Amino acid sequence: MTTLTTVAALIQEVIGEDWDLDDEITLESSFADDLELESIEFVALAEKMQASFGEGVDFVGWLSGKELDEIIALKVGDVVEFIDACRT
Amino acid sequence: MPHLTANDQELHHQLLGDATSDATPCVFAHGLLVDNLSSWYFGAAPIVAASRLAVCYDLRGHGLSSHAADGYDVGTGARDLIALLDSLGLQQVDLAGQSWGALICLRVALEHPERVRRLVLCEAPLPPSSLTEMASVINSDPQELLNMLPESLREAFSGGKRRALKAASRLKRLLTESSLIADLKAEGDIDDELLAALSQETLLLYGDDSSCRPVADRLLELVPHASLKTLPGGHYLAAERASDVGALIKEFLDG
Repeated sequence: MTTLTTVAALIQEVIGEDWDLDDEITLESSFADDLELESIEFVALAEKMQASFGEGVDFVGWLSGKELDEIIALKVGDVVEFIDACRT
Repeated sequence: MPHLTANDQELHHQLLGDATSDATPCVFAHGLLVDNLSSWYFGAAPIVAASRLAVCYDLRGHGLSSHAADGYDVGTGARDLIALLDSLGLQQVDLAGQSWGALICLRVALEHPERVRRLVLCEAPLPPSSLTEMASVINSDPQELLNMLPESLREAFSGGKRRALKAASRLKRLLTESSLIADLKAEGDIDDELLAALSQETLLLYGDDSSCRPVADRLLELVPHASLKTLPGGHYLAAERASDVGALIKEFLDG
């Protein structure tokens, strides 16, 4: 499973079964505009990523170093890139 | 999600920073209705967490905590917070609250002085009716309430799709399927004598343009160990001026 597939599955999990996404999740999908992730869903996602990728991927630490507007501007590709960089 | 049952509620919380730090942990309480722990979690909390454990939690009926039909009064909120501290094994903490969360923190500090070292009241509305936003909540006009939000929070209701629908349905549920409005209406002021008996060092944070800015002057006069910092901004200060609020809280707690 690629990092993107895992991240996409976690995003869908956070959004919940009741809410289908219109489009497929790609590296270019933005969390705010395309996926319409709420900030509280981002908190939940951060935790799921940490659990899924382990302590070596300090996703919460990475996020907490960012301002809210930077977080809002993030794309799925930014997160995938960060995870891959931590694991190499 | 870390949830724990406190005061018969499932409360969602998140920990930031070093849990083994010797410094007093700081617990953050958010405001009502449109707020949840993310305004602290993505704002001031990580700044404060550089020198101590920071705990953010969702109030009952908010964020990822379970829905509650009642108990939105300050007294019940304070009991929820004490139960959360007990469950986490935190004997003494610093408390930082925004708006209604500040009233909850203040109540805990007054009723359980031994549990609270220092106190940060960000935009505490006293009496609650001092807040213009409160009037639109009580009049049940969600649109008016939304119009008063700063841009960063209004984002949650924008887009017209999933996020907006979800946020609007949650707001509607709180306004129409819980005792929240009745609880707000019933919440009274705190007597001057009680405020004068507050023993903790207290930092007051208020926005220059906030409708409850005059409350700061009353608290400054009555609370024995209070200091005031004002920032450009309105009522939703913790979200609107997150970095400044974080730096001020950190300086206050570290000092």
